[in-house]
Amino acid sequence: MSAPNALIQATVDHLARFVPFDGMAPEHLAWLAERLKLAYYGKGETLLAPAHGLVQKLFIIKQGVVQGDQGDAGAWLELNEGESFPLGALLSSRAAISSFRAQTDVFAYELAAADFHELLRHSTPFHDFCTRRLATLLEKSQRGIQASYATSSSEQQSLRSPLSSIARRKPVTCAPDTPLRSALETIRDSGISSIVVVEAEGDIQRPVGVFTVRDLIGRVILPGIDLATPIRAVMTPEPMALPASAHAFEAALMMAKHGFRHVLVMDHGSLSGVVSEKDLFSLQRVGVTQISTAIRGANALDQLQLAAEDIRQLGHNMMAQGVAAEQLTQILSTLNDILTQRVIELECTAAECRHAFCWLSFGSEGRLEQTLATDQDNGIIFVAADGETPEQARAALLPLAERINRALDACGFPLCKGGIMAMNPKWCLSLDEWKATFSRWIDSGDPESLLNASIFFDFRALHGRAELATQLREWLMGRTTTTPRFLHQMAANALRNRPPLGLVRDFVVSSEGEHANTLDLKLNGTTPFVDAARLFALASGVGATGTAARLRAAGPKLRIASAEIEAWISAFFFIQMLRLRGQHEENLAGQVMDNRIDPDQLNDLDRRILKEAFRQARKVQSRLSMDYKV
Amino acid sequence: MDFLKRLFGPRVELDADSRRRLDAWRALPAEDASAPLGAARYVVVDVETTGLDLHHDDLIAIGACAVAGGRVVLADSFEVVLRQERVSDKDNILVHGIGGEAQREGIEPVEALLRFLEYLGKTPLVAFHVGFDETMIKRAIRRHLGFDFRHPWLDLAYVMPGLLPEYARKHRALDDWTRHFDIGNYARHSALADALATAQLFLAARPLANARKFDSYHALRELEKAERWAARSG
Repeated sequence: MSAPNALIQATVDHLARFVPFDGMAPEHLAWLAERLKLAYYGKGETLLAPAHGLVQKLFIIKQGVVQGDQGDAGAWLELNEGESFPLGALLSSRAAISSFRAQTDVFAYELAAADFHELLRHSTPFHDFCTRRLATLLEKSQRGIQASYATSSSEQQSLRSPLSSIARRKPVTCAPDTPLRSALETIRDSGISSIVVVEAEGDIQRPVGVFTVRDLIGRVILPGIDLATPIRAVMTPEPMALPASAHAFEAALMMAKHGFRHVLVMDHGSLSGVVSEKDLFSLQRVGVTQISTAIRGANALDQLQLAAEDIRQLGHNMMAQGVAAEQLTQILSTLNDILTQRVIELECTAAECRHAFCWLSFGSEGRLEQTLATDQDNGIIFVAADGETPEQARAALLPLAERINRALDACGFPLCKGGIMAMNPKWCLSLDEWKATFSRWIDSGDPESLLNASIFFDFRALHGRAELATQLREWLMGRTTTTPRFLHQMAANALRNRPPLGLVRDFVVSSEGEHANTLDLKLNGTTPFVDAARLFALASGVGATGTAARLRAAGPKLRIASAEIEAWISAFFFIQMLRLRGQHEENLAGQVMDNRIDPDQLNDLDRRILKEAFRQARKVQSRLSMDYKV
Repeated sequence: MDFLKRLFGPRVELDADSRRRLDAWRALPAEDASAPLGAARYVVVDVETTGLDLHHDDLIAIGACAVAGGRVVLADSFEVVLRQERVSDKDNILVHGIGGEAQREGIEPVEALLRFLEYLGKTPLVAFHVGFDETMIKRAIRRHLGFDFRHPWLDLAYVMPGLLPEYARKHRALDDWTRHFDIGNYARHSALADALATAQLFLAARPLANARKFDSYHALRELEKAERWAARSG
């Protein structure tokens, strides 16, 4: 044998164009190339099948297309130049689950299993890729998104940072019995705007309250409080706190939700820092708290319209900064919630509403998964006044509901084309009427009922009497967990919608009409995850409505491995991110925002991740079909 | 005199070590050409020369890679540039990309050719348009090592049309056939890259050959002979 020659070098150069080889050390790549054999498989020939038994080698496609088949599930996976298989079977030393067939003439590099395992030991990037390939691809993609937006280069930190890295200042504290005068002196001397009131027990500092300079006028000066008064009498009790491991965006969310400007940071039950609005502002151009404060202070529709515009702008800015989809959709949904709440408050005051009711949101809003383009899905649970029939209560509430729906429309949340809105008498119901409606859907299981269930069962209380929604949720859980036939029908319905991996090129796209050559990322991409998560939640009595929260809560109950759950969640959020990015770009180009993308427009890496994400969608669906025998 | 020289070869004085290495190679037993194609080792070869004149141009480089067990074994490959007494002209350099300096800095021909033989062993050879590669290597070996290199060669330029007669008229050059199988080439007109492309063509030929019961090197040589005969008489 000769020393490494041009052929080995050419092979190294070729492999280095693809993940994960692009991240591997040159000596490991050369080591790999020297151990490769190049094989030919004619069109239609099988490279690998479950019947071949224990997997003997890794395949890396040099040229051509390989098609993965999984028994009765049919052909669904296409692998192209630079892609490797079967990683799972090699890692766990078993037979392959899928069979792999040459869809065109294929040349594939082959690496013996023993060499594969040795390379795993030597090369960390290779190991990482094989064991957590989706996560690895996602990290690369995330870096790519951030790099592609030059404007974000000054943003060193992100909302993803843990609070421990942001709350650098040591908190200024005092005991509950400290006289106001001495506390104020401390505030002045340390040049800060707030003081944390703590009870010390050994090394543990337990926060019991916060006092800020802003509280001074209203609580001390105007009431003429004696400065000898202990601070406990004027502090804000039960301050908001988060663990040090929480992310910056959680603090932002908490401040936005509750209108506070400070969040305490706790480490093992003891106060370790304070994060202020200002600390988070430096992470962001448009402030989350700024917008939420503006919304809370708004007294007229035109102010709310401006705030709604700010929310959309914030969404686009965060998109540009590469904020991850999970955080972005949560922040957008939270701000939209606050806006909707304020709209309802203003309209209720104007209409002098006497009825107790709970405003519900459904669909993506119910799941806290709103994207940049979103319409209304809402309804009302009301309590009829004494001696009043539900019809009378409804008649009284509908004009108010209509005003709210129209105000939301004016704020940029278009009226729902399907009429799923509180102003529709069908969706403005008493608790008993909701139960009767839900019961009808659960018992009939016809396509329309199943479709309704998939929208309405994601309900969440947004304003008013939240306990009504809680009661409805508890009642619903009791029904669905004990009605297997309904779950079975929901599963069958969910499986009708297949991820578009297929035989024509990489993805199955519609070839004609208005949407030629595009994929619907909502229908074919996120919906399988959303549907499965809903089903898992309904089956295992999980009350959460968010897809990730549902999967995380239902996973252990259904004995699904947490690694698998996390892979599904990553895949779900990757597709969400592509939806958001698509909408962001359409918005920049002045086009109508939708959920369609042309897969040919994606870069290679994103195409691969999207394929991997669809593969995960398939896995979720196989789980459903296994669990429900459909 | 000239024709006698060509008949018997020039007298070549090899140093003792080279002589020993050459003798060791010549003593190797011949390999079995009737083994199934998927089992044995074959060496696919391509050469670069100073030009296309079989009698006057010189061998510049040999590239070769082995096919064993039905697969190209990447590490079992070979590449050598022979030191040139006179550097080939510019137009020629543009074809193979081996510059004047690289030609002058090549391996001394006796050593280069011995290394090739030691890499090859008695493994049967495969090439596309054998007439050219074989003649060039034969001439160089006769001139520098002083013996007649008689070795089994298989010519894919005849085997491929034999296996796929419907393309015989359309496909003539290596490029035609590699395009047919969508075989890429990382550096066309580099001896090793062309050897790899030829080796891939050889891999692609195997299922076709097996389907038609040409399941050994020997059987493919018979096919080649028939094709040569048909080409001459056709």
